Order: sequence, then C-alpha cells, then structure tokens
Amino acid sequence: MDAWWMCEVPYPHVPKAVLDAADSVRASLPNRYCDPRVAADLFEEVIDEYLLCDEMGLNVCATEHHAGINSLVGSNPMLVSILARQTRKARILSLGTLISLRREPVRVAEEYATADVVSRGRLELGFVKSGGTEMASANANPVNNIERYWEAIDLIGKALTHQDGPFSWEGKHFTHRHVNIWPRPWQDRLRMWAATGDPHTAAEVGRRGMVHTLVLRGHEGTRRAYAAYRTARTEAGLPPASIDNFAYSAFVCVGDTEEEGRRVGGKLLWFLNTSLKSAPQYAELLPGTAPPHIAGQAWRTRSKAGTGGPGLVNAEKDVATAQQNARKLMSTTVEQAMAQGILFAGNPDSVFAQIKRFHDDVGGFGHLTMIGRTGFMTHAESEKSIRLFGKEVLPRLKEIEPVATAHGSRLAVN
Amino acid sequence: MTQPMSPHADRLTVRDVDLEVVRRGSGRAIVFLHGFHTLDPGARFLELLSRRASVLAPSHPGFGASARPDGFETVYDLVHLYCEFLDGLPDHKVTLIGASFGGWLAAEIAASCPHRLDRLVLVDALGIKLGDRETPDILDVFNTHPDTVRRLSWHDPQRSAPNFDTPSDEALTRHARNLEALCLYGWEPYMYNPRLKRWLGRIEVPTLVLWGESDGVVEPAYGRAYASLIPGARFALIDGAGHHPEFERPDALADCIFEFLSC
Repeated sequence: MDAWWMCEVPYPHVPKAVLDAADSVRASLPNRYCDPRVAADLFEEVIDEYLLCDEMGLNVCATEHHAGINSLVGSNPMLVSILARQTRKARILSLGTLISLRREPVRVAEEYATADVVSRGRLELGFVKSGGTEMASANANPVNNIERYWEAIDLIGKALTHQDGPFSWEGKHFTHRHVNIWPRPWQDRLRMWAATGDPHTAAEVGRRGMVHTLVLRGHEGTRRAYAAYRTARTEAGLPPASIDNFAYSAFVCVGDTEEEGRRVGGKLLWFLNTSLKSAPQYAELLPGTAPPHIAGQAWRTRSKAGTGGPGLVNAEKDVATAQQNARKLMSTTVEQAMAQGILFAGNPDSVFAQIKRFHDDVGGFGHLTMIGRTGFMTHAESEKSIRLFGKEVLPRLKEIEPVATAHGSRLAVN
Repeated sequence: MTQPMSPHADRLTVRDVDLEVVRRGSGRAIVFLHGFHTLDPGARFLELLSRRASVLAPSHPGFGASARPDGFETVYDLVHLYCEFLDGLPDHKVTLIGASFGGWLAAEIAASCPHRLDRLVLVDALGIKLGDRETPDILDVFNTHPDTVRRLSWHDPQRSAPNFDTPSDEALTRHARNLEALCLYGWEPYMYNPRLKRWLGRIEVPTLVLWGESDGVVEPAYGRAYASLIPGARFALIDGAGHHPEFERPDALADCIFEFLSC
C-alpha cells in the first residue's frame, strides 16, 4: 500500500462568534476574516510539512476548495507546481482541480503538463465533483455539473496524450478548436483518480479504470462504492481491477502514545464539526444536488413522523447526497470517528492495526490518502505525526501488496 | 344541475416533447406561460381567465409533469418549442400571457414570431439586463437564503408564501423538479438574455406590462423600463402583490387583463 499525505490548508482563525453567527462558513463569509499574513504562515508551514513527507518516503496529495475556511487552496495546479519543484522523490497527486468549475479545461491540461515536466514525471491526476458552495463561488450551474465533470476529464485526457498537432473539440459544454499544448507531459499517460461515494459516478470511474478514492465514507459506504466500481467493470466485460485501483481517504494522526495520537487526532475533527457548516441554499436546497424526489423533502421544516428529520427523509441508501453525508459527520466524536473508520489515531502499532483492519474489512485498497493536518493542529504536532507515520507505520503498509480481485473478496496479502 | 368535474391537467405533444397542459374555458384563446412554478389546474387565476376565454397553460419541459428531452436545456429551445406550439393551435391569433420566467419567454416569442399573437401581457417578467454590471436587476433565488427569497417574493409572506410542511411528497417532488428546470434554463446569464433588450422594439402587438407593487425579486422600476422598451406598451401596478400576482392577487390580475383585452 502507498500512503499520500495531504492538508487542505484550512483557515481556522476566525473568531468562533463570527462562525456561529454566519449561516455558512463557505462561499459567503467575508474574506476580511482571512488575514493574508496568517495565511502566508499557514502555507509556509504546510509546504514544509509536504517537504518532510518527501523526506520520510510518503507521497503527497493536494486538493482544491473555494471561498471558505475549510481550505485556502483555490487553485490546485498552483500548489501542485510548488510541490513539483520543491519535492524530489514523492509522487504528487492532484485531488484535484474542481474541474467542472473551470471554463477552460485545456488551460488546466497545460498547467498539469507543466507540473509533470517540472517534477520529471511524478504527477498523478485526480478529479473531484465540487460541492454546493462552490457552485455559488464559481458561478457554475449545479444541474449539469456531472456532465461538465466528465467532458472536462475527457478533454484534459486527450490534450495530455495527443501529440500530433492541433485537434478540435466541439463538445456540449466546452469548445476549443485548436488544442495543442506545450510542453507535453513527461509521462506518456498520467494515472487518473476520482473521488466519489456516489454509486453512479463510481460505476463510470470503474469502467474507465481510474483509481477510485472514497473520502470519509466509512466501512459501509466504501464497500458499496467499491462494489459499484467492480460490478460496472464486470458488466462492461472488462478485466477485474487490482486493489491498486482503490484508495481511501481518512484522518490520520500518530502519537508516541495511544493517548497522544487520539488527543491530537481529535483536533482533525474540526473539519467535520466546524468547516462543513453550509447554508441551505448551498446545500440541500440547491437544485441538481439530489434527484427531485429526495430534494423536495428538504423543503420540509419539520420532520415527518417516523423519519430521521428534515432533509433526511426518503434518503435511499444508494442516493444519499453529499450534504446528507456531511450532516451525519458534523457532530462526530473521536470514538465515533474511529469506530466508523474515518479517523485512524493512536500510537504507531495501533494506527497500523486500525488501517489494516479497515483495509481488510472493505476488501482491500492500494492507497491511503491521509488528511494529516486540519483545524487547530499545530505545525509541530503535524510534523511529529508525519515522522512517526513515515518511520513506524508506512514500512508496514508498504508490505501490503496489491492483488487482483474480481469480487472484493479479502485477498490482500500481508 | 350536475357538479362540474374538477379541472385536471391534459397532455399535449409538440414535436418530440410531451407536455402537461391545463385547458379550461371557451372563447378567445389565451396561452399562459408560468413563472418559477406551474399553476394547479384548479388555480383561481386560471379559473377566472377561463370564465371568458379558452385558456391553455402548458408546463415548461422539466417543470411539473412535462418531459424534458435530453439536451433540451436552454431558453432558445423553449422559445422554438412555444413558437411551434402556437403555430399548431387552431386559432388564428392568441393572447399570450407570461409571468416571471414565463414573461421572459413571452417577450422572446413576441419579438421573434409575433404573427400568431393579438395581445401580449407580461407579469413581473424577467429576461433583460438593465442595471450596471455591478447591480443585478433580479434577485438570485438560488444563492440567497430561502428566508430572504420568501420575504422578497410576496407582498404578505405570512399569508401567501407556501407552507412546505403540508404538501404531499408528490407535490414537493414537483416543487424540486420545477426549481431544477428553472436552474438549468436560467442559471447564466442569470435570468436574462443579453440580446433581448435590443429586439423588444420588434414587438408590434398591443402589450400590457403588469407588476406586483411589492415585488422584491425584480422591482417595479424594472417593469416600467421594460414597458418603455416595447412600442406603445402600457404599465400598471397590482396592489397587494409581490412577484407572483397570479398566486397572490388572482382577481386583481385577471381584472386588469380583461380590461386590457376589452379595449
């Protein structure tokens, strides 16, 4: 198994009273609450942590989110480019540019190709579908978001592999009559990833053979999405995927002691209980984020008898929305997070055992993308966790070899 | 005397699009194009119109129970659909009434194919850009908190705004379907066609522009300016109404319309 460390560079330093009074901590919170001097320190610390990962043998992963306290990385290719120059060995995963928000996929392809060249072939490309607040902050139509997502990926994929002079693209959402990027990427074919818990998207990720990562989806959600991936491949007559095609993203914190790992790891839950707060117009009431028979229920202000509450009624298992997932996560405690498999925390032996147990339980995966720092975790705490992980946990994870598995049976060998 | 059957929605096919449509009454032909939401077949406003006219009120593709074919997702598609719809009617001329988003469609239709219209009525119509580049004319109903949208949409929200706790699951699904289609058609540029203002001068039929006096989605000043761009158009306010006079003041709205049609 490979491990990829990431930090979204959150900005937790907004007074609690301001966050409590705001109806959303994303999209609409005025940027006067973001001090650029503090932001500069955060970027410096986090980039240093990425460099430490490189030194300790971890791979690195960078995300992108817009206009909120959850992340200051509004342009993934910028951070990826810095990492491409500053790291030396690590593979670099972009996870990713929120591609359905960008008007010019060809420009993104150019940026990626450049970063791949600068890194001499260490770049991997992941794609994420974006959240509701980002539809507002990017002026992006939420109803056909998924169409733009796939069309942009197709266009970027072609731009990064086509070497025979200009080609024309007249798609439904993007038109570009003269695509011919320079430099071409170092790698002939960049591995592509996608993060999704939605079975319909997971099936398409499976048919395309991309690396499929699940972000904080726990045991059941992860098994279900991996199954959708595998089933889609079987139904399309494609060969079974190796577990190297599966990845899982969770909070990870390693301490000298079990107590330290859990105490510091608890700070990572800030992401869930503070940074997910979103106003209804950016979430459950935003058109296109759930099918109408589910979206309509979100308009009720009172729960119907026998249901979980407003907005959660009629949520069929296989179409639970990202908002519904988020709402479940907001009040999570350390113990619950560990039981659900969204936080792996403790001493090195314990963290390895937790990851291995989760890995075996969901049928195996080849990559752990670890959210190593968020919220008020300090630079020192983050660096300590990276060192302990790199020295004590990673060597044991690397012994878990990827194997081909047709039906998600527990074939991982250690 | 037999009890009249409660009105129901009918079906109509225009080219390849299967539409839900309310047909009521007899007399001169009126086509009503709805705004953010479809009107119930038994709606007071449609009932009032049907007393003196033959009313056809289709649900736009993707709204209510109307189908929306793959790739049908622009106002361009809607305008062509309704031009074809009008061409297929047996009446030589019809009166076209459009409210809010439907008012935008009605203005587009009147500017591009006026030959089937005898009169045009725009009610709190969207569709044009008037303010400067940093001053939106139309409230962003998607990116604004629902409490604010509710407050600005109605003259008397307490009395008029829908209560979402009472409808059936089916009605809420319909509500969400309407908003999804509206979002698809109107997201960007938000609820207007930058080209339409230039062509409003082509509208040759007698036109009445009506506006809820308390409309906070798009204010009466916008309506006055809209009317001034259409040759000879009259403008009037509807007291006690916000953005949806057809729901909030159906009697007053119908009275204004019939007064216009009789002159």
